[in-house]
Amino acid sequence: MRAGGEEQQALLRQVLGWRVAASIAWSVLLLPLCTAVFISISSIDLFHPIQWISNSFNDWYTSYVIFCILLMSVVILIISIFNVEFYAVVPSIPCSRLALLGKIIHPRQVIHSVVHAIMGMLVAWCAAVMTKGKFQFLALPCTASESLDGAVQHMCLNEYHLFLLLSGAFMGYNYSLLYLVNNMNYLPFPIIQQYKYLRFRRSLPLLVKRSCVESLYLVRNVCVAYYFFGYIPRAWISTTMDLNTDSKLHPLDTFTGLLDLSLLYHTWLCGIFLLITWHIAWLLFKIYATEAHHFPVQPTFAEETDQCLPKILNSNPPLIIKFLALQDLMLLSQYSPVRRQEVFSLSQPGGHPHNWTAISKECLNLLSDLTQKLIMQQEAAATNGRVKQPSTGELGRSLSSSEAAVTEEMAFQTQRSNVVSRAHMPSLVKSSLLPLKALSTSDLGSSFGSPFSSPALNRKAGILDLNSPWHGSVQSPHVMRRGPKLWTSSSDLQMNGSHQASFPVISFARVGNEAIQPSFIYTWLQNKQEQVRSFLSKRVLIMYFFSKHPEASIQAVFSDAQMHIWALEGLSRLVAASFTEDRFGVVQTTLPAILNTLLILQEVVDKHFKLPHASSKPPRISGSLMDTSYKTLRFALRASLKTAIYRITTTFGEHLNAVQVSAEHKKRLQQFLEFKE
Amino acid sequence: MIAEFSQVVDWAGCSIRAFAWHPHTSKFAVALLDDSIRVYNTNSATVPILKHRLQRNVASMAWKPLCASILAVACQSCVLVWHLDPTSLSTRPSSGCAQVLAYPGHSPVTSLAWAPSGEMLLSASPVDTAMLVWDVSTENCVPLQWFGGGGVTYLAWSPDGSKVLAATPSAVFRVWEAQMWTCERWPTIKGRCQTGCWSPDGSRLLFTVLGESVIYSLSFSEYSGEMQGQVGGSKTASIVADLSETTFETLYGEERIGGEVHSMVWDPSGERLAALIRGNPETPESRTIVAVFRTRNSPVFELLPCGFLQGEPGAEPQLIAFHPCFKKGALLTVCWSTGRISHIPFFFVSAQFPCFSPSHSPVVALSSSSASVREQPLFSEL
Repeated sequence: MRAGGEEQQALLRQVLGWRVAASIAWSVLLLPLCTAVFISISSIDLFHPIQWISNSFNDWYTSYVIFCILLMSVVILIISIFNVEFYAVVPSIPCSRLALLGKIIHPRQVIHSVVHAIMGMLVAWCAAVMTKGKFQFLALPCTASESLDGAVQHMCLNEYHLFLLLSGAFMGYNYSLLYLVNNMNYLPFPIIQQYKYLRFRRSLPLLVKRSCVESLYLVRNVCVAYYFFGYIPRAWISTTMDLNTDSKLHPLDTFTGLLDLSLLYHTWLCGIFLLITWHIAWLLFKIYATEAHHFPVQPTFAEETDQCLPKILNSNPPLIIKFLALQDLMLLSQYSPVRRQEVFSLSQPGGHPHNWTAISKECLNLLSDLTQKLIMQQEAAATNGRVKQPSTGELGRSLSSSEAAVTEEMAFQTQRSNVVSRAHMPSLVKSSLLPLKALSTSDLGSSFGSPFSSPALNRKAGILDLNSPWHGSVQSPHVMRRGPKLWTSSSDLQMNGSHQASFPVISFARVGNEAIQPSFIYTWLQNKQEQVRSFLSKRVLIMYFFSKHPEASIQAVFSDAQMHIWALEGLSRLVAASFTEDRFGVVQTTLPAILNTLLILQEVVDKHFKLPHASSKPPRISGSLMDTSYKTLRFALRASLKTAIYRITTTFGEHLNAVQVSAEHKKRLQQFLEFKE
Repeated sequence: MIAEFSQVVDWAGCSIRAFAWHPHTSKFAVALLDDSIRVYNTNSATVPILKHRLQRNVASMAWKPLCASILAVACQSCVLVWHLDPTSLSTRPSSGCAQVLAYPGHSPVTSLAWAPSGEMLLSASPVDTAMLVWDVSTENCVPLQWFGGGGVTYLAWSPDGSKVLAATPSAVFRVWEAQMWTCERWPTIKGRCQTGCWSPDGSRLLFTVLGESVIYSLSFSEYSGEMQGQVGGSKTASIVADLSETTFETLYGEERIGGEVHSMVWDPSGERLAALIRGNPETPESRTIVAVFRTRNSPVFELLPCGFLQGEPGAEPQLIAFHPCFKKGALLTVCWSTGRISHIPFFFVSAQFPCFSPSHSPVVALSSSSASVREQPLFSEL
């Protein structure tokens, strides 16, 4: 297990390592350019343009500036390290305000904020030094103290410098806060493939524009904050560094003091500089990290087996690797006939379609996981009284009726629908579904083996079945059908607050092995939680924090839908390509399973969009720098699911009638064939 | 401006402004002068009429491939995407069924193209230098910018999905490859590229240039996914047909035919090419006419004249389109200036792509909106 983990880490390092290095290198290389522009603009002098240009040329080479660039390179490096540490391919969406608050005061985030505030201060210091003029030093000789003995000159605090430093810290903290709130750590994958340079160039104008506007708001906020609280840091610095206050100059925390145009302009420029350099580092990391990676389908050397696509899909790699692998699957299924041929090929000694088996198995697993998740969510919505109960029951019945119709050869399909109808149990049994998943995987393996009808394989599958805790229930539908009833009754009892309800649970648990034991505790905990929540919900303030935003919780369900979209696209394109390219017919054996999974998912997704809380249209997206595509993933999923089914039906056409699927699905397929969905 | 770049001969005056066949079924949409859209279906009598507040100056329409009923409409200020329920019997779908895709600076939209795989929609405007790639379901868009050449007037996605033709208002057009989205630039000598169409396998592009009465051909190397980011076009385009004005002796006297090609369509099997030839405006007796060619793409490209199509006296062809999935040959749809739409079938057995289920019954029966056409004798042996 540990060895596997290390392998995964090595793979992650291998895939992501050079990308991170390249992105950091580029953002550091772009830093002198930004600095040069900053220096020129900050010393702008429209009345003497020639002098201005020659001055700024000279300024670029001063030792101050070079030191500042070095210092800021370190800052960029640290910012990039934070970007790498905090990135996520699946955004975390806080469902209530309390969750958001919890995220803000989470130690990880606090460290993030503090470091960013310090970095902001460093950048502001560099900006102040490079701006020169009245901003350059923190301490200046006092102008007021006309001391008679010139030997002892008093040093006074330069409040402009302090203001700039504090605004830098404020901006850094604000950046960190927005980073969290806007999910800037989320890596959105682009809808079209493009070269990195073009992607960067495309985003650059928007980045500059957004940074300017954001900086403007930040300056306003800094001014307000300084007006009210400015005296605290000023007094503190003055006392610790033993500096006097210059009595001739206006203190800055007054109205007139803050109305200094040059101060505001330079603070604004400093904010722009800070935001642009940091955003560039962030953007470059995003572009590099989401670039398509080419995983080999067939290993050319023995040591490469861990890096080839089927292996990666089937292992449990870091999410980013999984995303990249699925993206590569989608791309190869779309663009590369040569690599598709490798997917359809048979293994050399033995003649097994290992590549296709592994890939399709993983895709189907992903999709049926999503189906289960959605059913569970609908179930939860139904128990909350928003939706009538029969709707889900109907699906279950239809599935069990289809169960009766299928023949022995379709054992795979039967078990699959078992899995789904099992998922109709109340959502309380989440943990007990885990062994089921393992079971479905093993079944899948056996069904893949079956066309080659090797008895050894079948026996092996049988053994696997016996080992699985659900052996009994899968074999006899009797027990299975009784299962849900038991569960609902027990949970009903528990709703009444009686602890005796534990008895039937345990008795059932004995039937189904100990795998269920944790779910009882889970049930009890959830019950308690529910009680506490209902008690607290009567208090308005707490309600404000606890109230779940329906849109957010739906977004949370679909937060990793990008994976499923790619799986759908990759699978459907491969199946469509197999119509002409699959010489050995390896895809045909799994076609019923694929169609079944897609149609069940389609049914569930349709139902999901009919839930009262789900809006049927994506919200308007303003042209912002932040990517909010995760908010609309469910619409993309719905569209690509439909396209995937249509892709298969239009390619195969009438031949689909020969595929063995249940009567209900046949009807559904017919509708797709007639373009009536 | 829309009228200048439209594929319709007289966009401003004709009662039919745009026409679009559904890529998989016998269903089509017609945009009319009053900015309404009617959707006709051979299998149902209901004709939904689509109206929307933003549906002004419809310049182009396109049905989403691999989908039952999603229609994208290029309007004055935005792209409207109608989600129609194919089983619904309502004749006036509410404007809530329409998705509005708008982008600042991107109007009027004059051309649309769906990716043949149905995932993306391209939209173009003659005033916007960027063409937009839309992910319609999430309403995200990526602007594909280039500098020089002005906006984009006409888009054509090759049927295999690998390349896109984008014509500009200046004497240059571009061919994008649709994987990494890089482009190749083709300067033309005389004028802007007026229209273009792709062979079914995406290996050949036929295009015409404003001010010249010839058809150019441009061949592309065989597409395979291994060459990323290369368009792979040949160095020069060759002239494959000269359509300058000639005189024909017919039963009704002398007829002068020929001129610039206004729009051009290639049937999905690659066997027939129809070109809408606009007569010389100086000579009053020359008129707009549809010329049909027999074509073959492999092993060598062949273009043979097949015949002309003319309508009733006084009717001029305005817009032509081929049915995308006509099993028994090719079906050309012509919209006339009188407001009629006629469907002209060509029956043949394709040599390159023989049907998987050949010959159901050789019945001609596809003339959904009534049309009486006087056809020139058309022979399509083979």
